[in-house]
Amino acid sequence: MQSEKKFTTWVEDYSDILFGYLLKHGLPKEIARDILQETFLAAWRNMDSFRAEASVKNWLFVILKNKITDHYRKLANKVSENSIDLDTVGEHFFDNSDHWNKGAYPQNFKGNFESPVETKEFYKLLRTCGNRLKEIQNAVFSMKYIEGLSSEEICKELNISSSNYWVLIHRAKLQLRACLQKNWMEN
Amino acid sequence: MKTSVTCKKAIDLISKKEEGKITLWQRFQLWKHFAECSLCKLFNIQNKTIVDALPYIQHDISEPLSAEEKKEIVDNSIHTK
Repeated sequence: MQSEKKFTTWVEDYSDILFGYLLKHGLPKEIARDILQETFLAAWRNMDSFRAEASVKNWLFVILKNKITDHYRKLANKVSENSIDLDTVGEHFFDNSDHWNKGAYPQNFKGNFESPVETKEFYKLLRTCGNRLKEIQNAVFSMKYIEGLSSEEICKELNISSSNYWVLIHRAKLQLRACLQKNWMEN
Repeated sequence: MKTSVTCKKAIDLISKKEEGKITLWQRFQLWKHFAECSLCKLFNIQNKTIVDALPYIQHDISEPLSAEEKKEIVDNSIHTK
């Protein structure tokens, strides 16, 4: 009973901050909820191994980060199994001679990002377009551009090859830019 | 050595350049390509805008979990065998 009470306090005190961390790293809400649940489940099961002198928050973050890594690795395994898909990188963007397809020509964005309103709109669109990327692409993007990890660190973390990494980056960039162009044109 | 690269290759080099992972020769190839291809040149400018903005994206973190959601986490943890 004592431990249940203690555990409930942990959930009340730290679930928001852990959940926020997951979202900040570009994980979709549903996945973030699952990882949060798994984290607390692991914490509950391993409560005995928690040392009272350590910080609960830090301990929970260690578990959380391990769960994120597990999740990313599962995603990355799917990518490795699906190598044919990787060969078709940019097929809609480029023609047979690897030059831009007419329908995919980069065009100027409608907005300039000088005014605060436009900037706000730009960030909103960027977030929307980022969420449209495949989860693994979003993961690589978040690790690279938000966490600032190097390609070597990301490959190690996700357990993917360097060539898979570059393909993911390459494709995500093409898609993200195209999505921004499309939406700025239409709005 | 070939001085020209395709657009697809140029886009790939843009990413590698960001991490300082291109040779001097590839740098030249990219520079030459931009001089000849306004599409890739525009892509490069827009890509920089995007990449510079990415670290400042605010994800939807304002919404805290509800009391029910927290209770569910506790219940699911305690009652899972």
